[in-house]
Amino acid sequence: MNSNAQPVSEGAAQTARIAIEADRLGRRYGDVVAVESVSLSIAVGEFFALLGPNGAGKTTTMHMLTTLVTPTSGSATVMGYDVVRDAAQVRRSLGMVFQDPALDDRLTAEENLEIHAVLYGVPRRQVKGAIQAALEWASLADAGKRRVRGFSGGMKRRLELARALMHSPRVLFLDEPTIGLDPQGRRNLWEKIAQLRHAGMTVLMTTHNLPEAEACDRVGIIDHGRLVAIGTPTALVKEHADRSDADLEDVFIALTGNQLRDEVATARDRMVSFAKQGGEHTR
Amino acid sequence: MTNPLGARVTPVGVRSWAGIAPSVVLVLWKREMRRYWRDRSQIFGGFSRTILWLVILGFGLGASLREIEGYSYAQYILPGVIVLNVLFASLQCAIALVWDREVGLLREVVVSPAPMFSVTLGKLLGGATISLFQGTIPLLFAPFIGVRLTVLSVLGAWLVIFFLGIFMTALGVIIASRLKTFEGFGSISNGVIQPLYFLSGSIFPLRGVIGGVGFLDIPDALREELRRIGVFAIGGGWVVQLPDWIKVLVYANPVSYQLDLLRYYLLRFQQLPLTADLLVTFALPLIAAVIAAWFMGRMLKHK
Repeated sequence: MNSNAQPVSEGAAQTARIAIEADRLGRRYGDVVAVESVSLSIAVGEFFALLGPNGAGKTTTMHMLTTLVTPTSGSATVMGYDVVRDAAQVRRSLGMVFQDPALDDRLTAEENLEIHAVLYGVPRRQVKGAIQAALEWASLADAGKRRVRGFSGGMKRRLELARALMHSPRVLFLDEPTIGLDPQGRRNLWEKIAQLRHAGMTVLMTTHNLPEAEACDRVGIIDHGRLVAIGTPTALVKEHADRSDADLEDVFIALTGNQLRDEVATARDRMVSFAKQGGEHTR
Repeated sequence: MTNPLGARVTPVGVRSWAGIAPSVVLVLWKREMRRYWRDRSQIFGGFSRTILWLVILGFGLGASLREIEGYSYAQYILPGVIVLNVLFASLQCAIALVWDREVGLLREVVVSPAPMFSVTLGKLLGGATISLFQGTIPLLFAPFIGVRLTVLSVLGAWLVIFFLGIFMTALGVIIASRLKTFEGFGSISNGVIQPLYFLSGSIFPLRGVIGGVGFLDIPDALREELRRIGVFAIGGGWVVQLPDWIKVLVYANPVSYQLDLLRYYLLRFQQLPLTADLLVTFALPLIAAVIAAWFMGRMLKHK
């Protein structure tokens, strides 16, 4: 078990600045501990994946780092700003893509992007250009005036990724970015993310997809609210697997067990399924 | 500075004073407007509700009630139908927050650096503006039931409708912030809208005489005497006072005062003290808005 920050690559390690740092970060809801004492440190330009079974605490950790949930213990900083005390600065420096689309279905792609530009204080004369660039980057230039309701899952995800980048964030948070996409959509999105990575963007993503995690600089495996392992994919495989042909999946199962994680549907899950059936006044 | 998408973007931060960022309020207000105009079912509902109440109840029940203090029953309930439309419009707009918070755009708003008070303001002003549109639908029918509108009476009515819209949207925001899940508007309609509507003097006069079979007329002298003690006679028949417990509920219902002022502007007919009407109509929404902002802030913080 290793909870210390590890250098990304030996050479750049000494000069690399810290983008995200969590120090014994925890969150409890009443008696239920969602996240317990998570410490990690992610360097600028690093591509980091948070892995874990359902309900392990990935999303709560991410929500604490993005100021959506207030930690009940420990502390964390993003680009040097404290997530509790300097929440406004933290928000300005991050871009976020949620697990399911956080778009207004009744608005067009352009209108959704316009709201984002205003919320982040993009100067009025730059808004049009920023929207246009975002649509082109997301290969949605022809769909800008169409309502999001008619978009496929892949189109929505591309739109959201472009939106999250409009205000030049320093850190990108992706909550299960490729979930629910077909192989084409997955590959396209992955290429876009790789492109950002080469441009030096710091990315923290949660995922279930182990091949995707293997492509990351470092991986943190979280279970029952605790960070049980952290390191480069190859180091983790070497450290935790006993076979020579083992991969990250073997490590994952070795660390988190075979037990199925069946959760009771939350209020939110019920609403999602209700809305999918076309529930009234939900769109 | 060029963003990763290749556009020149130099975010300057959201300009705000005391939590009020005009650009944020405006863009979120615009969002509500766009949503409203694209939702034909809501506009259709506004018309169908008006027609059902004014025509079917107005003329159907009106046939046996004949008149309330010189006004036909359809005229008497016109302000009530406006209120009903406003209740539906504003609560629907506010309750959408539950959905918006869990799986909609609101999550994107919440991680942004925009001040949350401005987010609430955008919602309240949006709900009030939609209320204004929906509340104007019954006004279009006024000429058909013999209510003469003047510029002043319409402006007065709009003012009341707008503030009622703020008040009810604020109430809806408070309810929405307490709701964990939302699987249908029915409970809001039955549990909030209908009690507020029926207990506001919308369909029966407050100190009223209810009942009456059409063929028995109250003699004019008795009618005069009743009026002096504050009882309005409907048509003919026997005299019935409202039961005390209903009276208490009606007087405790803020919508009664807002409706009374609306009826005063439209029909010059009033049953409650004017000072109370003005206070409830114009001061209460501001208090409700502050409380709503507090609840909204709390809801968005601890998810």
